[in-house]
Amino acid sequence: MLKAENIKKKFVKLTKKKERIEFYANNGISVEAHDGEIIGILGPNGAGKTTFLRIIAGILEPTSGTVTFDELNYHDNETEIKKNIAYLSGNTKIYNTLSCYELLHMCADIYGVEKKDAEARILEISKTLDMDTFLYNRIGSLSTGQTQRVNIARCLIHNPKYYILDEATSGLDIISSQIILNFIKNEKKKGKTILYSTHYMEEAENICDKVIMINKGVIIDEGTPEKIKKDTKTTNLRDAFFKLIEGDNYEE
Amino acid sequence: MKNNMFNILKKELREMFRDKKSLSMMLIIPIFIPLLVIGMSALFESEINMPVTDYNTIGFDYELTDVEKNIIEELEINAVIDTVENLGEQLESGEIDLYVTKENNVYTINGDDSDTTTYASNLAESYFNAYKNYLQREYLVSHNVLSDEVLNIIVLEENITVEENYFASYIISYAFFFIIMAITVSATYPATDATAGEKERGTLETLLTFPIKSKDIIIGKFLSVSFSSMITGLLSLILTVISLKIANHMFTIYEGINLMLSLSSLIFAVIVIIAYSFLISGLCIAIASKSKSFKEAQSALTPLTFISFFPSMIIFMMGITTTNLYALIPFINYTLIFTDITSGIINYTHILLMLSSTIIIIAVVLKIIIKEYKSEKVLFG
Repeated sequence: MLKAENIKKKFVKLTKKKERIEFYANNGISVEAHDGEIIGILGPNGAGKTTFLRIIAGILEPTSGTVTFDELNYHDNETEIKKNIAYLSGNTKIYNTLSCYELLHMCADIYGVEKKDAEARILEISKTLDMDTFLYNRIGSLSTGQTQRVNIARCLIHNPKYYILDEATSGLDIISSQIILNFIKNEKKKGKTILYSTHYMEEAENICDKVIMINKGVIIDEGTPEKIKKDTKTTNLRDAFFKLIEGDNYEE
Repeated sequence: MKNNMFNILKKELREMFRDKKSLSMMLIIPIFIPLLVIGMSALFESEINMPVTDYNTIGFDYELTDVEKNIIEELEINAVIDTVENLGEQLESGEIDLYVTKENNVYTINGDDSDTTTYASNLAESYFNAYKNYLQREYLVSHNVLSDEVLNIIVLEENITVEENYFASYIISYAFFFIIMAITVSATYPATDATAGEKERGTLETLLTFPIKSKDIIIGKFLSVSFSSMITGLLSLILTVISLKIANHMFTIYEGINLMLSLSSLIFAVIVIIAYSFLISGLCIAIASKSKSFKEAQSALTPLTFISFFPSMIIFMMGITTTNLYALIPFINYTLIFTDITSGIINYTHILLMLSSTIIIIAVVLKIIIKEYKSEKVLFG
């Protein structure tokens, strides 16, 4: 089980006049995700979704609060935790000079996949994600959609228990987006836990078991999509979100 | 999992050898050494062995006596007699190398700032010394004075050891110093690319999500940059030795100089190259990893490049010799010990002190970078 409790993250910004402005990108966010659950983290740009997922992925340290994976924390078990998670964002960059095959091999080595299993796994993933035609091409020569498929392959190579996906479909065409959504559904079926942030409300409504709506670093509502719609007396998550932030001077 | 440092090293080397800029920095810089050696040798050779006919045309604005003509003939001077105006024009057009004007018993040597004027001026001074000597002798004889006793009232003899191959030694020292410079320049690009470059390209964030310890990331990167610098250093050493051998056959300034490095000298030269490659790579990575972009890292590394050159250059020009203290001071120690080794002097204490100082500095530098990579500041600092 993934558990994030009361996560706060403070940043300091310097103004042009060199004044220090402190602000909380996350201000007391808690999440619990069980095996086989897809938790959607929803909110507009700047809501604090990426900061939260970076903390969960161990890239950022929280100012306060704790993150545990099966009761293991980053402080004492960083490598052990990272072996069981895969982090993918819409902005995740990979090594352009390597071929897809070389990258996947390197990831397999890093995650400790047995050599004899690695080769078979690369070929299997390549087939699943329809990467056969460009498996041996350099990543730098691939299209955005193909690169994102390589990124998914990279996440799959070590068969992780937890997926942290930050706007993974952002900027992708409809086919590439669908490949990612199918991948998420398949992994859920295998009992994997997925944290999935997006600002596409409809997308989240379709695949998430539970949704956490964040605005300005705090949770404004959480629960199943049906519960949120019921709470807000709306018919979709998009309207629900606007209802929840009414009075915050957001323009649709 | 145990070999993650090796995985990072393999990844870095792959990226380095596939990047044209990294490759060219690694392999092209050493090619400048033969050009430097051959170029400098040719220049010094032409300066030293300039034939007298290149600078012996001297103008006079007065008629020469028979005595003067004899001296001129003895010194192989090609005399041109003409008016001051014409001689000035001829000097400007390069037809003569200088000209002499005379007013009563005052002779003036007129020339410009060209090399040939400098050489011709020396020739003219020899001519006037000989002529003055003749006139003094004549004067003394006409006054019944023993000219030899007056003119040789004191006898000056010189017993100064002159290094016959000064220029050759100069070139050899510079060539080996250039190896150190080549290693420095070669380390900056891959160090920048592996740290600030990776940050700028966004791949560092991906790398930090992998279950790899900061220690493995840094040591992997450090070894790859060191490896690149070592290749440059070793290639530079090989090309230096080869180009000096070729220069030895081509130019007379190398006569009498033994350019054959002994096996032990070669081994220790390689040790210095390896030690310096490690040190400069560590420092470059430390500085570049603090930068957010490639450009920022390159600017930050510029002072290090100068720091690595200047102290060595100064001690090299001042002719300072290696002491135990100097053997501990980074940058200075490599140049001094490298120069010693290539001159056939192998002092084990100095080499040991140099290695100890290098190991301590590298350990401290790596510890600092590893600590930095453990913190989120490496990405968002």
